[in-house]
Parts: sequence; structure tokens; C-alpha cells
Amino acid sequence: MKNDRKKILVVEDEAHLAKGLQFNLEREGYLVTLADNGQSALDLLGEEDFDLMVLDIMLPKLSGLEVARKIRNRDMRFPILMLSAKSTDEDREMGLKAGADDYLTKPFHLPELLLRVKGILRRWEWYKEPVHDQEVFQFGDMWINFASGKAKGCSGEFYLTAKEALLMKLLVTKKDTVVTREELLEKVWGYDPQTETRTVDNFVARLRKYFEKAPQTPRHIITHREKGYEFKI
Amino acid sequence: MSRLRTLFHPIMVFIGVQIAWIVLMAVWINWYLENNLAIKEFAQKIRPDLFTAEIQWLILFEGCFLMLLILAGVYVIFVYWNKQSRLNQMQSNFVASVSHELKSPLASIQLYLETLKYQDVTREEEKDFVETMLYDTQRLSGLIDNILQSSKADPKSMAMQFQPVDLGSFLREVVKGYKRQFEEKNCRVKLEIEASPTLNLDQRALSMVFNNLISNAIRYSPRGSTLSIYLHKNGKYWEVNFEDQGFGFDKKDLKKIFRKFYRVQNEDTQNIEGAGLGLFISSEIIKYHKGQLKVSSLGRGKGSVFSVRLPLSCEVEV
Repeated sequence: MKNDRKKILVVEDEAHLAKGLQFNLEREGYLVTLADNGQSALDLLGEEDFDLMVLDIMLPKLSGLEVARKIRNRDMRFPILMLSAKSTDEDREMGLKAGADDYLTKPFHLPELLLRVKGILRRWEWYKEPVHDQEVFQFGDMWINFASGKAKGCSGEFYLTAKEALLMKLLVTKKDTVVTREELLEKVWGYDPQTETRTVDNFVARLRKYFEKAPQTPRHIITHREKGYEFKI
Repeated sequence: MSRLRTLFHPIMVFIGVQIAWIVLMAVWINWYLENNLAIKEFAQKIRPDLFTAEIQWLILFEGCFLMLLILAGVYVIFVYWNKQSRLNQMQSNFVASVSHELKSPLASIQLYLETLKYQDVTREEEKDFVETMLYDTQRLSGLIDNILQSSKADPKSMAMQFQPVDLGSFLREVVKGYKRQFEEKNCRVKLEIEASPTLNLDQRALSMVFNNLISNAIRYSPRGSTLSIYLHKNGKYWEVNFEDQGFGFDKKDLKKIFRKFYRVQNEDTQNIEGAGLGLFISSEIIKYHKGQLKVSSLGRGKGSVFSVRLPLSCEVEV
């Protein structure tokens, strides 16, 4: 029988916190592996497949930020939930820039943590579903490989970030229909209270730079005022 | 970018301003001496009574002296401003690291309390969680003690309460409190007590010293290492050695680690939490006991030995 329990790697050097996280995540039905420093987290990730990483920032040997950056260099889309006592806006921004999909500050509420883990895994599941039975989505002379995150835009080949890939995938899956900002926020960002609807607009502007020959007069990613966005081939 | 930052560093700006100032002064003296005659001729036409025939050296020296005074004043202001900005920087680093260090045990306590609230747990698990929380509250309380103590860590304001303490059994008690933490980090502890004198000590203050040294040894050592604690007589002192197999120190750090807020910055330790207070407070407490807190290390990655030396004169007859 295939074991379909999701595997989570918890990287936390505080033994008590790690043990508490393991207990609660296992209670929710996940398989949990612990790592107490950044290097052993990367080693474990090389040996086994995981569905999600809960990553502290202040870690011996290799910091959480470096771990996230190293993972993003290898795999653009592996889900990372950063958990840190660093709570300023700059810290949060730094964590998200390093490649975290979500950022939660310590001390945290247990139900919120479990909901966020669930949300990230749900988005990840949805992302892994194939687009129209094909891994590579072609439009004009451009293409996106959602499996690898690689894409070809107006100015050559490049890698999409995890959020860009998720956003693009949602628009492509629902092509020729208007997708509301709220839906984009919920599916891509998981309704993080810190995320503003303007964030969606900024990401769309970035995607247009990649895939539109004239971003000011877009042909593929169309804005519908006060409604949302629509993707057209 | 970093070159630009170096260029605008306060010290560089200060040196630049001073050089400009001295050059300007030299130009002015040169100009004054060269144009002395012309100025005098011009002035004699307007106010002949104001000028004498020779160069007025007194006025020239007065001008130079005033300029030097201004120079010295600027220098003093700069020194104090620099000191102040360094203090501000240290204070903000301290606030950041202390709040970070406070949050970890707090997060752990909250997690276990919420676990008890939201999950069904067995009696055994409940007992284990409560013990974990108790340990974290102890950690929090130790940290708060350190912060409070650091604000009054000068001998005059330290109100110590000396009483006879059996050093051997006291040390054994403190070490026993770390049993759980040693197990969690898979560390071994070897406690060797050659003799157990009774000394006149402030027990609470000394427990802070031992707690700081043991928790540092655990924090800055890899999993599976051994901490050896050895109480013995060494010359004029009763000495307790804490020998760890941790990250060790470079020579340059050995001199600085007892400074307030100082934290060793290298790749092994940069992400380990700490406020830079424990060793400072410990050394102040030991100084107040007329003892010494010494450290030695063979270098980075080679462990370290902290030695608490308490004078034989503290010993009391039982």
C-alpha cells in the first residue's frame, strides 16, 4: 500500500520547539523528520524527498536564509515555511526574498501554524496538477515548463520564482476567463494577512515584463478593471 | 558601494575635515605673511593710527591659538559623538538579541500550552510537556536575571549576600539541573570533585556564574560532545574548570569575550542566540568575590576551558 502521508522536514535548533512541532505535526498525520542545523537539513533534502520544510532562520553552521537560497538555486518551487523570532518587516522581507513561501514569527499560535502548513501543501498539490495534460505550456514562440519552473520569454530562457510560477499557472489554467485578485491571493499567497492586493499587481507587472513584447499594451495578460486578470494566448 | 561607505565613515570624514582645516589655516598664515605689507599700506591710508611698522606676532599667535582651540574642541566633540554612536549601536544590537533570546523559550512555552489546549494528550505526555515548560521558564528567568544584573554590574551597586556554601554539593546541584538539556543534546558531563570546601559566597550570584558557563558550553558545543567539570585546589585558589569540546576561540577573541555585549562573530557561532551578557556578568560577580574568571582555548574548533577561581581566604571553618 502506498503511503500518502506528507513528509515534512522541521529544521530547528531549539530542541524543545522542534519536539513540540514534531508532536503536533505528527498528530495532524504528517511524517516529520528533524534537523538541528542548516547543513544537515540540506544533506537530508539530498537523500530523501520531502513535501515541505519548516525552517528556522537562526541556525548553527548555515543560517535558514542561506539554506533557503541554496534550495532555490536547485529547485525553484520546493515549499518552505520560515519560522523565526525575527519579526521586523525587513526580516520578513528578507526571508521571503531568500525563497520562503510563507513567514511566521515566534511565538506563534499552533492553529495558525497548522493552517499555514495545510495551505502551503494544498497550493503545492494544486500546482503539481498538469496543465491541459502537458508539462510544457506553449503560447506563440514562448513556453513555460511548470515542472521545472523554467520558461522562455521575450528575452530568452529563465527561471520563474515559486510565486511567479504559481500565479502564471493559475492564469493559464483558467485562460480566457477573468480571475479575480481575491482568488489569486487565496490560491497563491494563501490569504496571508500581511499580503495586500497590490502585491498581485506587482507580480503581474513582473510577468508582463517576461512575456509581453510591449508590457504597456499587453496581449497575453489582460487587466479587467476592478475585476482581475485574464490570460489569452 | 563598500568603498563609498568606507569613504563616508565618521573617522574618514573627521580626518578629511581636519586635513582641510589645517590646510586652510596654512593657506591663511601664508597669505597673511605675504600680504602683510600690502595690507599695512592700505590700512595706513585709512587708519594710520591702527598699525605699527612690524608684523603683529601677538595677534598672529592669538589667531593660531584660537584656531587650535577650535580644532581641539571639534576633536573632543568627535570623540564623544563616536562613543555615543557606538553605544547606540551596541544598545540596539542588545535589544535585538535579547528580544530574540526571550522569544525562543516563550515560543516553546506557548506551543506546549496550546498543544495541551488543542490536542488530546496522555498523562505521560502531559507531564513531559509541563517539565519542558518549567525548564523554559527557568531559562527565561535566568535571562531576565542576567539583564537585571548587567544594569548594575559594578561592584558598588551589587548587593551581595554572603553565606557559607558547600561548593562541591552546590556545584553538583547546579549540574543536576541540566540533566535534561545534556540528554537533549546527546552530551556527556563528567563531574570531578577533588575536595569540597565551604566558602563564604553569594549563592544566588554564583549560581548565575555556573549557569552561564554550563549553558554556554552546551550552546556552543556540537552534539555528542563532553563537558568536564573539575573542582580542585590550585595555589591560592579553589578552582572550578569547565572544559568543553565546543567551537573554541581565536586568540583575538580571548581578550574581548568578557566585555559587555561582546559576541564572537564567526561562521560557527553567528547564528547562535545570545545577548553578550553572561560572561561579562560572571566575571564581574567573580571579581566581587575577589576571585578570577579565566579562559583558555587552543583555537577555533578546539574547545575551551573556563576557570572560576575563588580565593582560599573565602573558606570558612565548618
